[in-house]
Amino acid sequence: MTKEEQLSIINDAIKKTKYNLKPLGYNLIFWSVVVISMSLFHYFFPQIVQYSYYSSTIYWVSIPLLGMVYTTYYNIKTGIKIGYETQLGRVIRIIWAVFGFAWIFTVGISILHNINPVQDILFLLGLVLIMSGVIIRFKPVTFGGIGLLIFTIYTYYVPGINFLLLNVFGITFGMLIPGLALYLLKKDE
Amino acid sequence: MNKHIEKLLFNPIRLKTISFLMTVETCNFKALLEITDSTKGNLSTQLKKLNEAGLIKIEKYFQKSYPTTDYSITKKGKKSFEEFYKQLISFK
Repeated sequence: MTKEEQLSIINDAIKKTKYNLKPLGYNLIFWSVVVISMSLFHYFFPQIVQYSYYSSTIYWVSIPLLGMVYTTYYNIKTGIKIGYETQLGRVIRIIWAVFGFAWIFTVGISILHNINPVQDILFLLGLVLIMSGVIIRFKPVTFGGIGLLIFTIYTYYVPGINFLLLNVFGITFGMLIPGLALYLLKKDE
Repeated sequence: MNKHIEKLLFNPIRLKTISFLMTVETCNFKALLEITDSTKGNLSTQLKKLNEAGLIKIEKYFQKSYPTTDYSITKKGKKSFEEFYKQLISFK
């Protein structure tokens, strides 16, 4: 085997490493649909969601926790099917795992102090989307994150804003549309 | 550079394996089979040799009652590959 052949083997092997971006797009779409559906259901049927003192807390904690279980299972299954984890994939996985822990922490604190966590979660989500978009070099996700961040900061200065509609608007433009674009358009990195 | 390592990486299957493992965190046997275009028996033999030389790490565990094996490159493997690659480039 010549030196050129060896270099060619190395280059070919390296080129075969692709970070599959479809699962990330799927995760963004899944969470967007969950949050938007939950917000709209809460908005149109408050008498069901808020039928008791703790019912809305249970509603907003239990369903996302079930979603976390499902997406963890989906991501493990997808990882096994792909057969390898790239360094890029590992970074994205860690970032979203940290966001998951931050979500649990924020929700816990807000329950203890009886405050609404929507703005804090959207702010955090905006940051994570910007990081993800920059890392995978996909502008719609980066801009979605920037838009969500600016929109969330703006809502801190608007008194009496409806948090459910804020969720629907912020998630649709910050996560659902970029997630669909990622799932349908972006080639693997 | 260590002559033994150089000889080890002269084999195309081992070179493909090490090159691919340089770019990923972990990899399973099935993915390595696809990457190397090798047979199960041949790949197992080459992986064993790379493991014995300390270039790769093999982790065996059970997933849903099925035995699974993950492969990753060791620090020694990374260093050896980098030296090997530098040497190849210098000859170009």
